[in-house]
Amino acid sequence: MANEFEQVENSEKVVEEFVAETAKNEEVEVKAKESVMPKAPSKLKLSKGELKRQSVLLVISAIFVLYGILFYYLPLGGWIMAFQNFKLKTGFLHSKWVWFAKFKFLFPTLKFWTREFWDGEFIRVIRNTLGMGVLNLATTFIMAIVFAILLNEVKNKFGKKMVQTISYLPHFLSWIIVTGIVHDSLSSTGIINELLRNLHIINDSYNFFAHPAWFWPIVAFSNVWKETGWNAIIYLAAITAIDPCLYEAAEIDGAGRWGKMKYITLPSIAPTIMILLVMNIGNVLNAGFEVQYLLGNGLVQKVSQTIDIYVLKWGISQMDYSLGTAAGIFKSVVAIVLIVISNTIAKKAGQESLF
Amino acid sequence: MAKDDFKLNYEASHGKEITDEEAKVLKKLAHKNTKKMSTGDIIFVICNTIFLILFTLITLYPVLNTVAYSFNDGLDAVRGHIYLWPRKPSIESYATVFAIQGFVQGAKITVARTVLGTLSSLVANALLAFVISRKRFLFRSQLSLFWVITMYVNGGMIPVMLLYKYLGLTSSFWVYVIPGMVSAFNVMVLRTYMEDLPTELEESAQLDGAGYITIFVKIISPLCKPVYATVALFVAVWQWNSWFDAMLYNRLKTEYTTLQYELMKLLNSVMQQSGSGNSTSQSTTTSKQVTPVSVRSAATVVTMVPILCLYPFLQRYFVTGLTIGGVKG
Amino acid sequence: MEMKRFLALGMAGMLSAAALVGCDNGGNVVDPVDPVDPAEPGVTEPGEKTTYSEDEIINFTMFSAMPGSEINDGNAAQEEIAKRTGVRVKETWLTGQTAEEAVGSILASGDLPDFIDGGDGMVQLYENDVLVAWDEYIEKYPNLKELYSDAEWEFFRQDDGKIYWANVFCNTYGEPKATGHNDEAFWIQCRVLEWANYPTIETLDDYFKVLEDYYAEHKSFTDPAGNDIPIIPYTALCDDWRYFCIENAPEFLDGYPNDGSVIVDTTTMKIVDYNTTPTAKKYFAKLNEEYNKGIIDKEFATQTYDEYIAKLSTGAILGMCDQNWDFNYTITPIFADTKLSDLGCEYVPLGLTIEPGMKQRWHTYGDTLNNSSGCAVTTSCEDPDAAFKFLSDILDQDIHDLRFWGIEGQDYLVDEDGMYYRTQEMRDQLNDSTYKASHVCNYSYMPQWLGTSKDGKNAMQPGEQASEFYAGLSEPLANTFKAYNAGGYPDMIGSVVEEMGIWYPMYSYSNAMTAETAGGEAWTKMGTVKHEWIPKVVMSGDFESEWTKYMDAYNACKPEDFLAEMQEELERRAAMAE
Repeated sequence: MANEFEQVENSEKVVEEFVAETAKNEEVEVKAKESVMPKAPSKLKLSKGELKRQSVLLVISAIFVLYGILFYYLPLGGWIMAFQNFKLKTGFLHSKWVWFAKFKFLFPTLKFWTREFWDGEFIRVIRNTLGMGVLNLATTFIMAIVFAILLNEVKNKFGKKMVQTISYLPHFLSWIIVTGIVHDSLSSTGIINELLRNLHIINDSYNFFAHPAWFWPIVAFSNVWKETGWNAIIYLAAITAIDPCLYEAAEIDGAGRWGKMKYITLPSIAPTIMILLVMNIGNVLNAGFEVQYLLGNGLVQKVSQTIDIYVLKWGISQMDYSLGTAAGIFKSVVAIVLIVISNTIAKKAGQESLF
Repeated sequence: MAKDDFKLNYEASHGKEITDEEAKVLKKLAHKNTKKMSTGDIIFVICNTIFLILFTLITLYPVLNTVAYSFNDGLDAVRGHIYLWPRKPSIESYATVFAIQGFVQGAKITVARTVLGTLSSLVANALLAFVISRKRFLFRSQLSLFWVITMYVNGGMIPVMLLYKYLGLTSSFWVYVIPGMVSAFNVMVLRTYMEDLPTELEESAQLDGAGYITIFVKIISPLCKPVYATVALFVAVWQWNSWFDAMLYNRLKTEYTTLQYELMKLLNSVMQQSGSGNSTSQSTTTSKQVTPVSVRSAATVVTMVPILCLYPFLQRYFVTGLTIGGVKG
Repeated sequence: MEMKRFLALGMAGMLSAAALVGCDNGGNVVDPVDPVDPAEPGVTEPGEKTTYSEDEIINFTMFSAMPGSEINDGNAAQEEIAKRTGVRVKETWLTGQTAEEAVGSILASGDLPDFIDGGDGMVQLYENDVLVAWDEYIEKYPNLKELYSDAEWEFFRQDDGKIYWANVFCNTYGEPKATGHNDEAFWIQCRVLEWANYPTIETLDDYFKVLEDYYAEHKSFTDPAGNDIPIIPYTALCDDWRYFCIENAPEFLDGYPNDGSVIVDTTTMKIVDYNTTPTAKKYFAKLNEEYNKGIIDKEFATQTYDEYIAKLSTGAILGMCDQNWDFNYTITPIFADTKLSDLGCEYVPLGLTIEPGMKQRWHTYGDTLNNSSGCAVTTSCEDPDAAFKFLSDILDQDIHDLRFWGIEGQDYLVDEDGMYYRTQEMRDQLNDSTYKASHVCNYSYMPQWLGTSKDGKNAMQPGEQASEFYAGLSEPLANTFKAYNAGGYPDMIGSVVEEMGIWYPMYSYSNAMTAETAGGEAWTKMGTVKHEWIPKVVMSGDFESEWTKYMDAYNACKPEDFLAEMQEELERRAAMAE
């Protein structure tokens, strides 16, 4: 008995070794491929021959660059509004120049070591936006990946399609509907309070919206609820690109469900994950407007107000185009800095990068 | 026979030969392993199924709730506390939605912009992604950066408006198609997928003297069906749901109105009515009165159904999975 | 995009609210030259009436920077008006933007309609020189001139000395006919009053006393559908801009009218801040006391407007402080529908004060002249004369009746005394939005009258026709009016009948403040602080210390800057009146 047991243990080791070896082999293979293929751009020189060979690519990209300049970069001329007291009548050319006054309004003091700086309303708003942005990013991002991978494990095609179809539907509901339902569920007569009361966790209804600590998690949950299925579509598409042979090989090597998910599925969609992560990191300052506006109230406003709400309060509702533009520039600059940093990190880590 | 199959398979996947004896042991082990895993598998399948069912129920609830509200009497819906079934059934909200004067014209334009916009956008995004994903391309990184930046900057409403006016895009249908044709986000998604494709076919085509366009059309695009379907869905949904541009650029051009804009106008007018009240009646029984709650729900359902119908056609590309592995072998 | 859409919803509500405030209060009383003779100037002689054929009809466009209902092409009333005046106007409304944004984008696109009401963006239109001056046409068309007195017209002059728009609301022709109270009040359900034997309720303390007494005996009730509904004696809405429901009561409790952001002390002509008065402290202390007694809704601070309306519509709430337009137009039909009105769940307004025996001005009689926006003709209009002629023509009584009463025989009937009336069937029909889109054409943001028709009998607008008002009163409501010997809502509230000063209302100035001035900045900050602290103060276990903290936070906003600017404006307006 003991002998057999030992044997089994030993042979398990053998299998493990095989798996490791295979992985190594594959790695070598990939490396070999790379060295054969002229991949690294650093090796390419701006030679005449190369230019000629790529002429088609160059023409296409030139068209797209022109298009991009026209529709995306040209309107950025509007950024000068941030340095003016822009009025429609006087236009860009004749509006009064106020230079950095609008930015000064956002940051009354730049002495970041003082209390005054950190107590400033805009700083608080940035903190809220970043906090919710990061929390939303983390939760929706992870949920979408987990959901896509788990869904991929479902073998029943009908069930799989059903679940997927249903899961992306909330994407089409407007925030006003979703927040209405969230409010309903969390109200004193709502399902959550009822549940807590029945489980004797609380005696009296708990008012979730009166406590600042709950606000960010509620916003994050709402985002997960609404967008998980929708966000998972990209990963599901990426999963389809995985070579089924890989799964077969892993199966032969004795990898179970977890093993396959961990060693095949996840690494295969890693490039997609990285690209989306980098792009989304640039969006953390766009934590939203509607959901906070609709879920927030006076008691939690210190943690609920985002940059967009701030701009609305101080700018748009008071005909101040310039302030909104100044805040927009701030957001853009932060976003670009963030993606450049995350992109560099991704590159250094040998991961897929945006540029 | 089975033994041979196993041996061949193993040799193929590990790239080395094994003896019959070794094969025997390994097969036994593999079998044992699968068997051992299958208890784990069963637990996994059960947990996974429970999780997915729960998740589905939770995501299904708001949708069913919206449907229930949409089929409920408008005034009664204001009282809230409707869950999965209408309390006082009525199709008045739908009648109101379908009675919008601009409904047919709006639907026509919306379908046109969705079809044209999706096709043109798909071609443009795919082409750009193709260029960026060519590893040999000289300005690969610069071009990427150029487009990535467009995701995070915008000039604001007024400058964009002035530009469109100057280009003659205002008061025209093309404002729905041309300015939004390239989306950097979609380009990056497409590009990542293209970069991960096996390169063998492309290389052999190149050796046969195929140009970039041929490679794009004949080799890359067929492999990209799943991601094309994904991007097409994204663009189509965005086009389908857009209404702000219709209002901004075609405010006075009723012939270019879109369905969503018409629905928004209806919703706004219902809200305004319920806000200002109806001066003619202080208190009358009005069974046919619609309210923002019910109209919003009905409009949402009306918007959702066509997308729901389109979905299965696209879904098969990214749920069922393609065996693109065949290409490799 | 989403954000803008959403934003407009909030703004939209505010705009329609602003448009409504004070509009059903009579106001701007014009003495008709000869009210009984319909053939006087301004009224087209029946003999002159011409009809226009389709190719003679001019098509104009109009944009109003408020949300509204678009009407269908071929709308019955619109066609009839077009036939008689030779003009048809296609109206479009605000959707998903603020008024300023909409006006900004219209100006940038250069695609101007013929008529425009820019709402809060009106000044932008003037600054961009796209409006046609009214001056010459006011002289040419007596119907237009009649809208305002010369002194009032002066108020519409811009700094270049010309008039570019006229506010179209709040003009009463002849005898005021108002039966409603569309403003703010402490409301109470009829059944509470009936149970207490219709007591005189004068002060805030009286009010809460009766709510408490009723609640002591009635913790819940059974609605007509058989549901057991737990009673909540009082709730206060704090949602976003609607927090006026809890915030501005102190100005009324002190007996002042709805100047909005401040109190105007008429004896000294000084601006007073109602947020810090002893009355304010008493009021919030009272709310705090009642909250801790369990009389006030536990969720008052976090409820959304939709939840608030849902609560009210179950009949559970005995009383609250709110503007009539903010709840009653939705609640009344629901109560009628669910038969809760028969149980006496409908609300009547009370004109409370902080101390007994004070005069109060919850209901404003007289003029609320809002000169900040109105109907204008743009320079894109190819035939401005035709445009102004149309604005004048639609004030002719027959066209005015078409606009507001509809088509005779179909939307209203005339009895043998010449009085207009509607059958229940007609009223129901007019509540159907599909029917309205194809049959009703108000041209609601063009000049119009309230008050008495030029026939001297009927009301200009059906909402003010007494028979229409009494037709739908439920029995408990009628009993309540009878018990208090009130002919309508204004009598019920019993405010002092007096004309407002020419400066009224001051909110028209604070609403237009921008962060560019110190006062405007303070105003925005004060709002933020109040949003947070008012619910905290009401919910606190220790009122005094919480109130002190609130006042510290409030004073840190420099309210004095705001008050100083308001004082300046008050003096400017007062000087203008002289």
